[in-house]
Formats: sequence, structure tokens, C-alpha cells
Amino acid sequence: MSVLKARYFDGQRSIGHDVSVVLGGGSLKIVGQDIDLLFNPHRVRVAPRVADAPRWIYLPGGGACVLEDNDAVDALSRGSRFAPFLHRLESRPAWAALALLLVVASLWVLIDRGVPFAAEQVALRIPPAAENDLGRHTLASLDRFYMQPSQLSAPRQKMLTEEFNALAASAPDLPPHRLIFRSSPRIGPNAFALPGGTIVITDQLVTLAQSDQQVMAVLAHELGHLAHRHAMRSLLQGSATALIIAGVTGDVTSTTSLAASAPVVLLHAKYSRDFEREADRYGIELLRKDNISPRNFALILERLEAANKGRGSVPGFLASHPPTKEREALVREADGH
Amino acid sequence: MAEGESASPARTLRPEFTGSGGEYFRVWVVNLLFSLVTLGIYSAWAKVRKKKYLYGNTRLDGDSFDYFARPETILKGRIIAVAVLLVYALAGELHPESRFAFWALAALAAPWVIVRSLLFNARNSAWRGLRFHFNGTAGGAARVFLGLTAVTVVTLGLGYPWFAARRRRYVLGNHALGTSRFACELPTASFYWLYLRALLMWIGLLVPLGFLAYLTVFSPLSRAAIAPAVFAFAPVIGGYAAYAVVYGYLQARTANLMWNSTYGPGLRFHSDLRARKLIGIYIGNVLAAVASAGLLIPWAVVRTLKYRLSCLAVIVEQEMVHEADPAFARVGATGQELGDFFNLDLGI
Repeated sequence: MSVLKARYFDGQRSIGHDVSVVLGGGSLKIVGQDIDLLFNPHRVRVAPRVADAPRWIYLPGGGACVLEDNDAVDALSRGSRFAPFLHRLESRPAWAALALLLVVASLWVLIDRGVPFAAEQVALRIPPAAENDLGRHTLASLDRFYMQPSQLSAPRQKMLTEEFNALAASAPDLPPHRLIFRSSPRIGPNAFALPGGTIVITDQLVTLAQSDQQVMAVLAHELGHLAHRHAMRSLLQGSATALIIAGVTGDVTSTTSLAASAPVVLLHAKYSRDFEREADRYGIELLRKDNISPRNFALILERLEAANKGRGSVPGFLASHPPTKEREALVREADGH
Repeated sequence: MAEGESASPARTLRPEFTGSGGEYFRVWVVNLLFSLVTLGIYSAWAKVRKKKYLYGNTRLDGDSFDYFARPETILKGRIIAVAVLLVYALAGELHPESRFAFWALAALAAPWVIVRSLLFNARNSAWRGLRFHFNGTAGGAARVFLGLTAVTVVTLGLGYPWFAARRRRYVLGNHALGTSRFACELPTASFYWLYLRALLMWIGLLVPLGFLAYLTVFSPLSRAAIAPAVFAFAPVIGGYAAYAVVYGYLQARTANLMWNSTYGPGLRFHSDLRARKLIGIYIGNVLAAVASAGLLIPWAVVRTLKYRLSCLAVIVEQEMVHEADPAFARVGATGQELGDFFNLDLGI
């Protein structure tokens, strides 16, 4: 027989009664001034304990009791084993510290492995044609603001297109693709793969390259972006990370959420570098298949870097790329085979 | 509702928060971990536990509040919300025109979502064993949220203070504790004065900031390297600070106006938030959250709640006994599941 102090509310009127809760003999009694109630303990629902917040007991018929002595309630209610375990985790500083470490670790695993893996799995199941609309829009706005028709002669364009087709013919897992030429003094020497399979190369890049093989080295890298579905994966990863960050910082006022946009930008740069590395490896593999020395890739990278020095941030080929030294090491390794 | 025995002189009740930032941090971090490792599924349980902690430790007249939503119901709402969000984000990126259709649909659904969300929260909160209730209809929400948004757009923003006032009146004035309905009579003119002052404040802060930006970025002085590059960040940080100042000012003053015009059977509310104090708290919260990589968020939540509660008072002019809504139980059986399921929980 145990007796606990409590406040009782009948659920009908906003009046609190000081009562005693008496548990024993297979029944739960609530006794106070003008109150004498008897309940079957199995039909009484005890709220889960959260730290030391007042504990509610919900009675059949809509009444409720609130008790301040959580430990005594715990001793009385033999509920699931999970609830006391949860409370132990939530109340001890050592567990809080461990949880904190695990939060950081699981965030890292989720962002470094989980999100890219899930995005890749989903992207590979979405037909490439789904990206066509997006690619058309991007190309239209680039054409309006940044690019003019190519100044290269038709035979020169035809020659490069044929070399590109020969390169792509030996490429594995390629979605539909096409090569188009544009002139853009504003963008400068550059090439980029648009969603939907269009690869744009600027006249300035063709002029900068010392050989067609160097042009092919850049295009092989861009084919890597297409084969690995980087445009779609980038979209998916962006949505997923936004959801994670919203979840972690969820209960903050809107002034603090301004600060929450910083990690999104950092994560985007990280994912973007990962994609560049993947495209580099694919491109080098493709060049070797086509009997073009990967050294051409290193040479054109050097020239691009020199040409783009002093230019502001450039979209596409050089944007958020891995350090050039690292890429050259990759080329040397490939060449060593 | 039944009248009390005697008409005693007015009592002023101050709600207080009896929890602590440290205790809330421990609850918060364990629930965050479980939410992460279950890929968000546990977040519904985490939400209930966190709200249970915050409500349970909020006391008014000696008795605590209670929050008792079923996590399963919240999970359903969250799954729908996440699905809608993902479809919107992806479709919007791939087919930009689809955004217009989505916005049109969202605008049509918004009043209903707002009502369901407020109703869900009210029904799952209680004080002294009595559930709160929300009496607003989707039609009423549409008039306020769609109608007055349209007025704001047509009048190029001049209608905004009117909208801001009506929005709060709609939300507060439709709440009830059991059958005791609250009413809110917001003076629209005071909102116009408030927003006018906020606008002047904003201009007053932006002019020196613009001048600072000119000095550090564009002027010959900056080119002459008199101003080091670090100073280029000064206008940006100043811009954020100016935003926090105007935001905190509006938050404090609108909350005061709102509560001071709200009353219920035998009681009225009084709020005396100080703008300067609230601005300080907001700026402190942002700095703490950024400097601790988010760790101090629970501390910020508790600190803000404590201050806001300490400035709110319930003035009981006549002792009343509030009663449960008898229609309420009937609604619960049939409409609840439907309403709960579509509670999109979009954080309105």
C-alpha cells in the first residue's frame, strides 16, 4: 500500500483538488475532501516521464491527476522497460555528453555517406529525360545573358563533334547526350554539362587548348558528370541536407535560422568537390580507353588555371574544384599504369 | 460556465517556467540523437517529449500545463509534409513552371492547414485538466490570410499592418479553454503607428549602414587600403544586427498590443515585454547558437520562454470556473482522426 500526494482534476471543471492517490489491493483510490474514487489500475494511463516535469496520470472517464514526485510514480507504475531507460538517458550528464558525441558522429555519417548514397540510388532510378526541362531553361538563360553563337567554322565544329562522338562511344553508362558550341568572352574558356545531357563548350576553351586531345580531355570529364547523374544528385542532396538542417535546428526562432543557412552553403561546396573528383576519375578512365594520354588533362588544367586567374568566380568547369595539385597527382597515377 | 461564489478583488497571476536550460539540454540532445539515427522517424516522439517538458514546467496559479498529442499522429503529418516538400522542391527545380501551380494549390489549402494546425495544438494542450479549443473555420482563415494578403499586395504593402492585426485577432480570438472563449479586440490604428515607427527605425539604421558600406567597399578610402578587408564584413554584420533590432522591436510591441487587448470570461491578459530586453535576448541567442554550433539552442529556447512568460500576466477580475465543452467529446470520435491526419505540422 502506497500513498502519494496529488492534484486531481475531473476534466469537466477547472477546479483542482488536493488528494491522496492510494495504490494497493488491486485498485487505485483517489481520496480527498468530497472525493472518493476507485479505479482499476490497468485502465489508468501514466504519462511518460520527461526529466522532472510534473507527471500526469490519465483516468478512465476523462479525469486526471498530476503528481510532483516522479520517482515515486516510477516505483509504482511497472510500465514498459523502455520508458525508464529513456529517462535515465535524458537525465544523466554523462549520457548527454555521449549523446552529443554520437549526434556529431551520426550527422557526419549521414552527410558524408548517407545522403550521397541515397541520392545516387534515387537518381539512377529517375529517367534522364526528367532533367530535360531544367537543362533547356538553364541553356536559355545562359544564352540570353552570357553566351553568343559560336564563331568556329562549321567544318571545325563537325570535326570536334565527331571526335567527341568517338570518345562517347567507348563510354560506359551514358544517358543521351549532345555537344554544342558557344562563344562567351564573359565566361571565358570553359565547358559544362547541363542537366538533360547537353555539354556546352566555349570557343575560348577550343582556342586555349593546344590540341584536340586536350579538348577531349575536358569533354571526357564532363561526360563523367553526365554518367554519374551529378545534376540530379546535386538537387536531391540539396533537398536532403536542407531537411536535416531544418530538423536539427527546428525549434529555434526565425532570427537564429538566418545562421542555419551557412552550413547549407558549406555542404554544397563539399558535395560539389566530391562530384568533380568522381568526374575526374571517370574522364581519365575514358581517355585511356580511347588511347588519349591522361597527361592532356593535366596540361589543359594548368592552362585553364592560368587563364582564369584574376577572373571572378566562374560557373562550371573550375567552380569548387578540388585543388589542382590533387588532380595532377591523379593524372600522374593514371599515367603510371 | 458557472460564476464563482464571490466577486473578490482582481488577482494578478504570473505564469512561470520552473524548468532549466541544463535539464532541457539533456532531453534535447538525447532526442536529437534518436531522431538522427532513426532518420527522422523518432522526431515525432521527440517533439512530444520536448513540448511535454516545456508545457509541464509552465505553471499558472500553481497548476502546470500539459501537452499530450499522440506521436503517431504527428508522424503521419510529418510524412505527408516531407513528401509534399520533396515533390515541390524537385518538381520546382526540374520544371520551373510547376511552382506556380504549386503556389496556387498551397494558397488554396493554406486556410485549412492553418485551422487544422491550430486546432491540433489547442486540443492537445490542457490546463487544470481542461483542453484548449480552437473555434476558427477555414472560411474565416481564408478571409484573413488570403483576403488580407491580397489587400496587402494590391495596396503595395500599405494594408500590411491591418493584416498583421487581423491575423493575431483571428488566432487568439478563436481560442478557448473548454467553453470559455477568448476575445481579442486589436486596435488597427495602433498597429499602423507601430509599423510606421519600425519603418522609420529601419531607415534610421540602414542609412548609416549604407554609408558604412560605401566607405568600406566602394570609396577611394577603401581602395587606398585605409580600411582593411575585414571591415568589408562590417556592413553585413551591421545589416543582421539592424534586422534583429527591428524584428525584436516588432515582436515585443505586437505581443504587448495583442495580449493587452485579449480577454476571456472574468479575466484579461497583460503583457509588458520590453523591446530592448527582447532584442538583447535574440541577438544573444544567435551569437550563442552560432558560437556553439547549435549546442546552446535549448538554452536559448528556455531563456526566451522564461522572459516571455515573466512579462505576461493573467488578471482575474472575477473568479470563474471554466468548463469542458460537451460537444467536444463528440467531435473527438469522428473528426479527430481526419483532422489529425491532415495536420501538416508546417510550423505555423
